[in-house]
Amino acid sequence: MPNRNPHATHPPKTKSRWWPILGPLLLWSTILGSVWCVWIDFKIRADFKALQWALPARIYARPVELYAGAHLGDEDLTNILQRLGYRQTTSVAGPGEYQVTQSRVRLRTRGFEFWDGQETSVYTEVDFSGRHISALRGEQNVDDLALVRLEPVEIAQVNPTTGEDRLPVTLDDVPAALVQAVISVEDQRFYSHYGLDPIGILRALWSNVRAGGVVQGGSTLTQQLVKNLYLTQDRTLLRKLEEAVMAVALEIHFSKDEILTGYLNEVFLGQDGNRAIHGFALAAEHYFGRPLKELKLDELAVLAALPRGASYYNPLRYPERAIERRNVVLARMLAQEYISDQQYEQAHKAKLEVSARPLKRERGSGYPAFMEMVYADLARDYDSKALRTEGLRIFTTLDVGMQSAMEAVLNKSVAAVARIPDADKHLEAAVVITDASTGEVRALAGSRQAGYTGFNRALHASRPIGSLVKPAVYLTALESPNFHLATILADKPVTLTLEDGQLWKPDNYDNQTFGDVYLHDALERSLNLATVDLGMKVGLVEVANMLTRLGLKRSVLPYPSMLLGAVNMAPIEVAQMYQTLASNGFRSPLRSVEAVTTALGEPLARYGIETEQVVEPDAVFLLEYAMQGVFTRGTARTAANRLAYNMPLAGKTGTTNDSRDSWFAGYGDDLVGIVWLGHDDNSETGLTGATGALRVWTDIMTLADIQPRQTLPPQNIVFDSVPLIPVRDTADRNCNATQSLPFRAKTMPDVEYSCEVTDSFFERIIDRFRNDVP
Amino acid sequence: MMHRMLLVVLLTTILGIISGCTSFETTDNTPTPAAVVVMPTTPDPSVPQTIVSPPAALPSVVTLPPAPALVPPASTPNNPATPTATLLVAVDAAIAAGELERAAALCERALRISPRDAYLWYRLASIHMQQQRYADAEGVARRALSFAGSDAQLSQSINNLLQQAQAALTR
Repeated sequence: MPNRNPHATHPPKTKSRWWPILGPLLLWSTILGSVWCVWIDFKIRADFKALQWALPARIYARPVELYAGAHLGDEDLTNILQRLGYRQTTSVAGPGEYQVTQSRVRLRTRGFEFWDGQETSVYTEVDFSGRHISALRGEQNVDDLALVRLEPVEIAQVNPTTGEDRLPVTLDDVPAALVQAVISVEDQRFYSHYGLDPIGILRALWSNVRAGGVVQGGSTLTQQLVKNLYLTQDRTLLRKLEEAVMAVALEIHFSKDEILTGYLNEVFLGQDGNRAIHGFALAAEHYFGRPLKELKLDELAVLAALPRGASYYNPLRYPERAIERRNVVLARMLAQEYISDQQYEQAHKAKLEVSARPLKRERGSGYPAFMEMVYADLARDYDSKALRTEGLRIFTTLDVGMQSAMEAVLNKSVAAVARIPDADKHLEAAVVITDASTGEVRALAGSRQAGYTGFNRALHASRPIGSLVKPAVYLTALESPNFHLATILADKPVTLTLEDGQLWKPDNYDNQTFGDVYLHDALERSLNLATVDLGMKVGLVEVANMLTRLGLKRSVLPYPSMLLGAVNMAPIEVAQMYQTLASNGFRSPLRSVEAVTTALGEPLARYGIETEQVVEPDAVFLLEYAMQGVFTRGTARTAANRLAYNMPLAGKTGTTNDSRDSWFAGYGDDLVGIVWLGHDDNSETGLTGATGALRVWTDIMTLADIQPRQTLPPQNIVFDSVPLIPVRDTADRNCNATQSLPFRAKTMPDVEYSCEVTDSFFERIIDRFRNDVP
Repeated sequence: MMHRMLLVVLLTTILGIISGCTSFETTDNTPTPAAVVVMPTTPDPSVPQTIVSPPAALPSVVTLPPAPALVPPASTPNNPATPTATLLVAVDAAIAAGELERAAALCERALRISPRDAYLWYRLASIHMQQQRYADAEGVARRALSFAGSDAQLSQSINNLLQQAQAALTR
């Protein structure tokens, strides 16, 4: 080089000689570097300000209400409390704790933001008498605690496509001890550095050199946050540089509290199947089954250990490691004087009590059959993106206790009634349980197997309903002035010519015929021939219309075979039809979703009770008389003994040709239950409605403790006595044995036919007149 | 000359960052990111826009029944320890605050506890009247009537409400 430069001895010339190469290089790299810095700065400012995590929609079961008289036993309550992660203690001190002494449960609720307002955290004592709450008391100086609503059990969530789940919280909701724990192990000088911590880096370097490997990272919380939010996991120098610039930019524009909040919500703290647990609030629920606010110092220290190695220190899987690391965290906190010696002593001796590992079924897809209905209902108003990103809270009508009771017995119960061994052919089942009054779906089974995710028979198995159709035929008749419960029908062989010219010769189930029968008797005993006689008299179109009025959406062809149940319905459609009967002729659309709120609890939509009167209450009352008779005298009387404490109940058995389908539909005062049994290939089951579905229904409903019907006669209803044995000729009637039946005042049996002995003809007329007065 | 340019570039960079910083602090106090949640764009179908309109905008026929005038024994506020009475107090408060949909929700909550309480069904029907949801009001009122039994006074109130609902529907 020197020989190329003749003026080598002149120092100033040396500079100018290097400048042409170094100068532009330095200039351009500075310009590019600056532009890059400005760009990163701009980006981080915009991105972090608008930081919105994609939040899963959370789906909740119906909250349990506590009040004197509520139908809820002490075990029912403690089961729910356990599902909610309440801790059993010997003295209730804070929210989320409960205590059981004999038949009293003491608890303090956590409070919850519901769609109809805030439910505050309250202390309450609940006394029980059998399966009812007998008294509800508040704290001693607070009277008049009439009603307490527990938080709802979360039954499912719609995860974002990222698979990340979190429960974002504000700094106010994070216990100070957790912040101290995190800072003392992850970034001691968090509050004094500017995004980078040279001292920390040196210290980390020193310990790494001493240990001969990477044991400690020198990253600040800010750097960790930046890395998690915006960068890949590459460990290149350029990435490190980018991370440093971003961290400094973040510190310049945002407060320590904002950065800390971001970190506490963002950090990855565990993996749960295909769901990534992010943020400390969700980690608290995941590992301890309780909200962050309720955790004690030792538990918070366990969580604070996780950012260092979420799977290595997983307290569910490696409790020893978790405890060891927890004690390191506690020691650091003690050293930095965040906690006292006494606190340290207490916490580092504490036993690790993690939540019982949640059953897979109880999380994400606990109730796939019910959730399918929820998604279908939601799809009307929300697209899947909204559900996956906006953190919506969806309140459903599912009764967790009811669903559990049903699942507890269903599989065994179905196996017990099956005629063909399970090994040869798997008898399948579907169950729908709804609220009798409001049409809210309380429980749903799409298979006999709980948690089954395949074909949802409750919603989609469309099968002939057999005799379940008959109430529609009889209701059509009872609505008209030409029929009453004592109308005499002919149960005798009949041949009908169908539209296509073919002959139709229906039979009774047992191939017997019974001659003259009362209308109510024909329904109670499910006589086919008498039903065809009645149906042809009232008109096929009228019966088809009745099905529509009761809530059937699909159209029904008015063929005579319809009268005996050649109508296909899925169990959920049957449930709609029977819900209308159970609520005395008021149809209320079945619903699985009650309300939707934002993540912060602001109401967005509510799906309230809709109801429309589709049949006169008088006619439904008369029908119900016969449907209660199904249990006392008819095809379901075999179940009457086991249901002795629940009677009166109303219901109907259903069997289809060659016993391919076994149905039972029944209702009490509170519930409507539909059970279907059959084979997926539609082959014979050897079961009738009474020997199959009814027994399963009874197993479920005794466990659910279905409430007796309390149907009061409408004002126009009067009772009259008629001969026990129906005869066509009034002169032949035998009034030695009679039965008392309800009638509409305007549609009574002939006076000559009545056995009402105490009343003179005129008194009866006066009675009718009285009853006509509104 | 070259290092002057360099200095300018560096200065602009620093200025840029600082100005960005100040502009953030002065113009925007966006809360922590955790609190930011997007509202779904889907409109709420169950809450008609009409509920925000003042009572003066109601059709003249709809003289709203003074609901609390009529109190059957089942839900007497004299005995506030019953769950339905407690909820009815909340219903009144929600109506007073103009939050009709919340009032309806509370009423339905009470109906889940007492499904045969004619008065509760009647209150729900009158809330639907205020919401100008006449068809819903009619269905609910008919159910109220079916439970009213021999309570002539309540039946009379329900029948009045039914007439108003039908009048509004046929118009």
